[in-house]
Amino acid sequence: MCRFICSHKKNVLMDPSEVEFLSEKETVTIIPNFSLDKIYLIGGDLGPFNPGLPVDVPVWLALNLKQRQKCRIVPPDWMDVVKLEQIRDQERKEETFAPIPSPYYMELTKLLLNHASDNIPKADEIRTLVKDIWDTRVAKLRLSADSFISLQEAHAKLDNLTLMEINTTRMFLLDSLNCMYKLRSNMQPGSGATRSQDY
Amino acid sequence: MSDALSEASDLSADDSQDVMTPAELIAKLEEAWLNEKFSPELLENKSEIVECVMEQLTHMEENLQRVRKGDVKASIHRMEIDRIRFVLSSYLRSRLQKVEKYFPHILEKEKSRADGDPSFLSPEEFAFAKEYLANTETYLKAVALRHMPPNLQTVDMLKAVPEPCLDSFVFLRVKERQENILVEPETDEQREYVVDLEEGSQHLMRYRTIAPLVVSGAVQLI
Repeated sequence: MCRFICSHKKNVLMDPSEVEFLSEKETVTIIPNFSLDKIYLIGGDLGPFNPGLPVDVPVWLALNLKQRQKCRIVPPDWMDVVKLEQIRDQERKEETFAPIPSPYYMELTKLLLNHASDNIPKADEIRTLVKDIWDTRVAKLRLSADSFISLQEAHAKLDNLTLMEINTTRMFLLDSLNCMYKLRSNMQPGSGATRSQDY
Repeated sequence: MSDALSEASDLSADDSQDVMTPAELIAKLEEAWLNEKFSPELLENKSEIVECVMEQLTHMEENLQRVRKGDVKASIHRMEIDRIRFVLSSYLRSRLQKVEKYFPHILEKEKSRADGDPSFLSPEEFAFAKEYLANTETYLKAVALRHMPPNLQTVDMLKAVPEPCLDSFVFLRVKERQENILVEPETDEQREYVVDLEEGSQHLMRYRTIAPLVVSGAVQLI
């Protein structure tokens, strides 16, 4: 039995670094200090780049240029102390998950603050605020996962939940649900769901 | 199920006639990657997408060979190629992992497939699965079975290897609105009920319920 359940893990698992990888496709505005013609990437055209003129690029490129000291990163609109305070307060007030400004808010905050904190005003406050928002949301997620299991629900709506948040609970929640399902279906004779090695 | 599958393959055939931009192609690859990663069973192979992406990558790499070293643009192109290659490898790898895990069932499904229906496996994956089955059987025979009493010298792989568990829960995001999706009850005291899946909403439910929607592309596993 245990073997069966464990063997499913590898597929369902997503590494946090892979979620971060996805977040790097989001666009961010940079102010380059070099000039370069338009680049025709497979995923779309970028540029042209002119010194001092803002241009939108994917995060992976922005971070690379930043590391090579070729640009300044303009933080996204929502990465602002006042806005984040509002979001945090709303998140604490509401019982459900409040809408979030970016589906990758956690990953982007981490990436941008780690690599470009000199371009982001009040970086430390932002870090704390985003961590507060994250903690509040993950606590809600744990509560709802708990009630989902104890009420033995078969469907849950998870609007506004981000991929990284889902990822924190994915393995534990899905494995628990699968375990409980197997325990239940094994009690009913004749259910074909768990034949083979389980016996 | 088989109806839904053949419909979906018709759809994808239609798609390929439309001109897809490379950016859309990459987006399709990423969708396929996440779906394959999170679905408990092996999904239909997307060899068309894989081939097109490979073509794009090879083409771009050929162009880059002509560029001198240290060119800024070339380094950006290389980074993009690496990122796409990562997704592509991860996609193919997660398929092979499933083949290794469920090979007897996948081969059985392949055998019972009607002529004309699209195969779940690419030709390479099919060869891999057959070889994996043969090697596993040879190995079991050499290590254990030949030392057994004669009546215990065979092993039925279909029974020995667990089936994919389609009743697993999955997380999903809705891309096209769906009405009246039946949710089966968890316990005897509960009743079944229907839900509407609004576009853009996210859900946690059993894979079996929404498997046809994954195939048709109406929902994305997350």
